Amino acid sequence: MSGGTVLKSFSALAAIIFLSALSAGAQYPVYPSKPTPEQAAAEQRGKALFQQNCAVCHGANLTGGRGPDLIRSDLTRQDKNGNLIGPVVSQGRIEKGMPAFSQLSQSQIADLVAYIHSEITVFDLHTRIPGGYPNDIPPSQLATGSAAAGKAFFYGAGHCSDCHSPTGDLAHIASRYLDPTTLEQLFISPAGTLAFSPTYRKGVTITASVTLKDGTIMEGPLLENGGGYVSIQGSDGWTHTWPLSDVKSVAVHNPVQAHIDMLPKWNNEEMHNMFTYLETLK
Amino acid sequence: MKRLIAILAVLLALAFAIAPSSRAQGLDNLSVLSQAPTSMWPSYNGDYSGRRFSPLTQINEKNVGSLGLAWAFQTGARSLETMPLEVNGIMYITGGNEMWAVDALTGRQIWHFVNGRPGGSSKGAAMYKDKLYMTTPDDKLLCIDAKDGKLLWQIPIDDPTLKAFGGSAPLVVKDHIIVGTGGDTADLPGYLLAVDPDTGKIQWRWDAMPKPGTPAWNTWPHDTDVVTRGGGMTWITGTYDPDLNLLYWGTGNPHPVENGAARAGANLYTCSIIALDPDTGKLVWYFQGSPHDTHDWDMNMTPVLFNGTWHGKPRKLVAQAGKNGMFFVLDRTDGKALLSEAFVKANWYTGLNKRGEPIPDPIREPQPDGTLVWGSTGTDWQAPSFDPQTGLFYVNSQQSFGVFYLTMPGIHAEGWAGRDFFLYSKSMMKAIDYQTGKIKWVHDFPGREGLEGVLTTAGRLVFTGGSYDNVLALDARTGKTVWQTFVGGGMSTSPMTYELFGRQYVVYPAGGTVFAFSLPSRAGNTEEMSGN
Repeated sequence: MSGGTVLKSFSALAAIIFLSALSAGAQYPVYPSKPTPEQAAAEQRGKALFQQNCAVCHGANLTGGRGPDLIRSDLTRQDKNGNLIGPVVSQGRIEKGMPAFSQLSQSQIADLVAYIHSEITVFDLHTRIPGGYPNDIPPSQLATGSAAAGKAFFYGAGHCSDCHSPTGDLAHIASRYLDPTTLEQLFISPAGTLAFSPTYRKGVTITASVTLKDGTIMEGPLLENGGGYVSIQGSDGWTHTWPLSDVKSVAVHNPVQAHIDMLPKWNNEEMHNMFTYLETLK
Repeated sequence: MKRLIAILAVLLALAFAIAPSSRAQGLDNLSVLSQAPTSMWPSYNGDYSGRRFSPLTQINEKNVGSLGLAWAFQTGARSLETMPLEVNGIMYITGGNEMWAVDALTGRQIWHFVNGRPGGSSKGAAMYKDKLYMTTPDDKLLCIDAKDGKLLWQIPIDDPTLKAFGGSAPLVVKDHIIVGTGGDTADLPGYLLAVDPDTGKIQWRWDAMPKPGTPAWNTWPHDTDVVTRGGGMTWITGTYDPDLNLLYWGTGNPHPVENGAARAGANLYTCSIIALDPDTGKLVWYFQGSPHDTHDWDMNMTPVLFNGTWHGKPRKLVAQAGKNGMFFVLDRTDGKALLSEAFVKANWYTGLNKRGEPIPDPIREPQPDGTLVWGSTGTDWQAPSFDPQTGLFYVNSQQSFGVFYLTMPGIHAEGWAGRDFFLYSKSMMKAIDYQTGKIKWVHDFPGREGLEGVLTTAGRLVFTGGSYDNVLALDARTGKTVWQTFVGGGMSTSPMTYELFGRQYVVYPAGGTVFAFSLPSRAGNTEEMSGN
């Protein structure tokens, strides 16, 4: 629920910075940092221990079963570095039917604790962080379409081949994005949501030609276009701003306009087919 | 004729307006909040109706171009979501865990209250007699002495361990402080509380999750405990009709958020407008604007109350522009739907059921390999406004397109259970004709994702925030910009207005600053500049 959805989900690091700047409200998810390799390794070891020892009662996804839910739990959420979880694991809760796991070493318990906290973090996230964290959507989950149909769409109705080539700009595209949802968003909407803001740039540069009243034409990356003003970064490196009433015309050039125009034409099947095809471009 | 009635209504409202004869008196809610706001803005929505329409006309379509800064109050907060109150010449501004009392004439601080560590969001306070009430990000209700900003008492509302949050403005109805709660992470059941204004004792509690044996109970499966885990949060302030003695409130989405299979059925009373008896908390009627939601479309948006003529007959109405992009007009006596129309492009519903509620299309429920949804968010907590002069309902909305993935399938899913991404979003204000649901005009906002609310006035103006940190006024009939000023900060709340010593102010919280605008100054300021 709550207001966070408006600002969810872009596919650029810049967008995360942009989001965190805006995430003042309790409604916005606060993105945790991606775990370090050491943390990730501990979480992986903890995961194996959990599946082996704990999942049978607490559920493979920690949401409970014969034993309590560990995600929606005051104890796990108030735990700091195992101070609450640790004693329960090593001593058990015999009266409630939980045996003691006294055979687990302190470092194994620390790995378990790291895993439980990482699962809570992932659980609490409303969306994935660009770059693939949490890594809970493997490419195989999205590659449910037909590669052949995707290829036909690429060269046919989708007009993708007008601008792109599987051996040129898209060579090895599937290997370039660790996060499959990023690839999926990119081929539908290459500059993310903010592409539809007239000034947002990510890999693509939206430019404008401003014709002044004396006929001079100034060109460059567009910084602002609206609220009564137009602002560009000129070829001289300076920022230039004019009241819209003081210019003859503004021509905006958005290199991903074809993707914007294409948006209403996508359906689920074509999206799955295209992803499946692009997955073949390893 | 319609226009004449509107003018009469405005004159009548002005005649009853309370002059700011003395300062810093308490607030008699029932008489003040039952009329459109003029000398005060005494509650989150300005009055009980939620119309956010002021009868003030000093600032109007003809002179708005000369609007200038009267004062600015810098809170030092990074950003504000607050809806300031103004009562008898004093403005009350909230931040997360803090509040400022400011002289509404000059902008000078009177007191500053801090409760623990400031931070997080607060959408505003409520006032009852000489006390103020606010909820905190960690979900407590605070009662503060309006004279000196001292804390009188505080009570916990919900447990923040499972990410419950407060921050919404309470609503005062008679001697009840009505408090909602939020939390969208770890499956919390929503409810409304009525609290005694003097003692902080709970008077009643209404639960969004139904009780066994009720028809609503059967709109959930019972092979898991999902019905106890809920959703149906209540984090935007509701409205009240004193004549019908009915309290109206919007409820949030069900949980797990994006896994519909775990909770087959309509999932009452989530994503609904509910009408309660404010004295007992008993449900009188409900209308579910988004049955079986799987897209985080919490339908908490303000239920706006106004009277109108419907097919020749006078009717008491309630209208809502929902997060799911649907605009509803209901009879507020019984909740019967009169109009259900999408105000943005939407592909997620197949039609309407016999209650006028949309029927969700199963293919648009989040799928493991993704599903594309038009209308992935229609609007959010930004307040709409209804102008009785134009008969238009103004809402800042988004035309959005998103992809929704199911990541935790199965009936034991909890929490979010999915991931969703916006592929496209375009912000605009829409003026909806409530008689038809048709869009009368659209005002595009380039360059931002807008969360600005709306204020309308009898000066034929619509006030809101716009592109690139501008604040603006639009012509209420056409949507054309008639005034704008760059304030250098984003706006996540709504403008408000009041009149003090014969001068009308329009107030915009933007960034961490509260800006008060008015027409060029009269004697007061010039004297100060020339004298001394």
